[in-house]
Amino acid sequence: MNTVIPVENGETLVALRGFLRQLLESGAVEALYVSLGVDNGLVAPALVTDPALLDQADPLTPVMPINGARAVSALTGKRAPARLGVVLRPCEIRALVELVKLQQADLENVLLIGLDCPGTYELTDYVERQKTGQANLREYLALAREGNTDSLHDMPLRHACQMCDQPVPEHTDIHIGLFGAGAENGLPVEIDDEIAESLQLPVVPGVLPDGRQTVVDRLVADRRQTREKELAAMRERLDANGGLSGLFATCIRCHNCMTVCPICYCKTCLFKTASFDHQPEHYLTAAKRKGATRLLGDTMLFHMTRLNHMSLSCVSCGMCTSACPADIPVGLVFSAIGAQVQAAFDYRPGWEISETLPLITFQPNEWTEVGETR
Amino acid sequence: MSDNNFEPHILAFLCNWCTYTGADLAGTSRLQYPPNVRVIRTMCSGAVDPVFVLKPLMDGADGVFIGGCHPGDCHYQTGNYKARRRYVALQEILKSAGFDERRVWLRWISASEGNKFAASMNEMVAAIKEMGPSPLRQDWSV
Repeated sequence: MNTVIPVENGETLVALRGFLRQLLESGAVEALYVSLGVDNGLVAPALVTDPALLDQADPLTPVMPINGARAVSALTGKRAPARLGVVLRPCEIRALVELVKLQQADLENVLLIGLDCPGTYELTDYVERQKTGQANLREYLALAREGNTDSLHDMPLRHACQMCDQPVPEHTDIHIGLFGAGAENGLPVEIDDEIAESLQLPVVPGVLPDGRQTVVDRLVADRRQTREKELAAMRERLDANGGLSGLFATCIRCHNCMTVCPICYCKTCLFKTASFDHQPEHYLTAAKRKGATRLLGDTMLFHMTRLNHMSLSCVSCGMCTSACPADIPVGLVFSAIGAQVQAAFDYRPGWEISETLPLITFQPNEWTEVGETR
Repeated sequence: MSDNNFEPHILAFLCNWCTYTGADLAGTSRLQYPPNVRVIRTMCSGAVDPVFVLKPLMDGADGVFIGGCHPGDCHYQTGNYKARRRYVALQEILKSAGFDERRVWLRWISASEGNKFAASMNEMVAAIKEMGPSPLRQDWSV
């Protein structure tokens, strides 16, 4: 059903906190995963059981320190120990769907609360603007309403957000709208009937504002165009001489991209084991053979193996790009390659929970030419 | 290295039950095939982790061959079907990352197909010779 969170004096965040508090106090959920405000004006994700702490809840500040799917994986494992509410962005929900398929998280006992996502900024940019008083939630929400967050005082969105064509969350039990929603009319909410009843929320039919669909359609069309353009440009670079190794020439092998990737769930990555530790002579031989050999070794192997492990499930959240200290457009590379691989299997990550992961299933009569031609 | 005397380095992962036995049959039948192929026996084509293929490729191998039982004949029922999907994914990844996916082959060769094994080796060595050495052989930056 549809309802609305009334907003007083334009205090959207206060209204949202009140709603979350209601969820926790009513017992609809036993704990809530949500970002809490911290001293420097930024946010840190937390699991909250004390409703009083929700006075610090802040799911609106447009930064994304982690992909929350990782957190929900930790919180649920095989099955959540209690009824949990989780507040996530659309790309976090998509990653979570993939983790469920990878058997690293569970949605039973989980109440998915999704907000429209107008886009997020790089943490460092946002901190800078906070200091000078230029970043302001009210201003951001006003831009968000029109779907115009591409720049806030010349601060660009995170690169992944600039080309995100899925800003509306799917699979939610509670969907809170920001696009087209004016504070004066409150926040429109689509909510599961049972929960709405237990919270005794009033039914407000036709709650989605008139302009919303127009805003969403335009935003999606613009972002999709950007995405297609960026992916095409990246494919051109990949096809060019050097391809992937040229792009990763400055990789320092910090493994940040793997650490922050919501899909990379292995407890011990193959590349953190001794598997590729060679005897000293090995490097000398390789150098003699080629004239030089790159160190640390196996850098391209690392990225190719990661592609092999996560490209089908890559939801383009861009955490890898944000985490790369060498400014390599990791997320764009992986999105460009991922899109090709996903297309080959007609697979859309994060979309259909019931759809099996392509690499754990098969049809006997498919790709029948493979194994005969080359 | 001039193309005239280029001898490709090819690594072959052969499934124990079909292709490896097929290769054995090729040998006992005294069928000739080029010595460019280094064979590694695996229990199943489905046991060939794509990283087994990527490691030699990145290190400059000119080709990697995977041999398995014909679809429907897998000793473990479904290993080769899974290998096929992994192969398709790997081909897409290699291609879109700017590497030549034609250096990786997958063939279904049964234990009785010694002829097909020898023919496949001849065919692959000829194709790779045509393509020339892997550019990664001399690339220090990978």
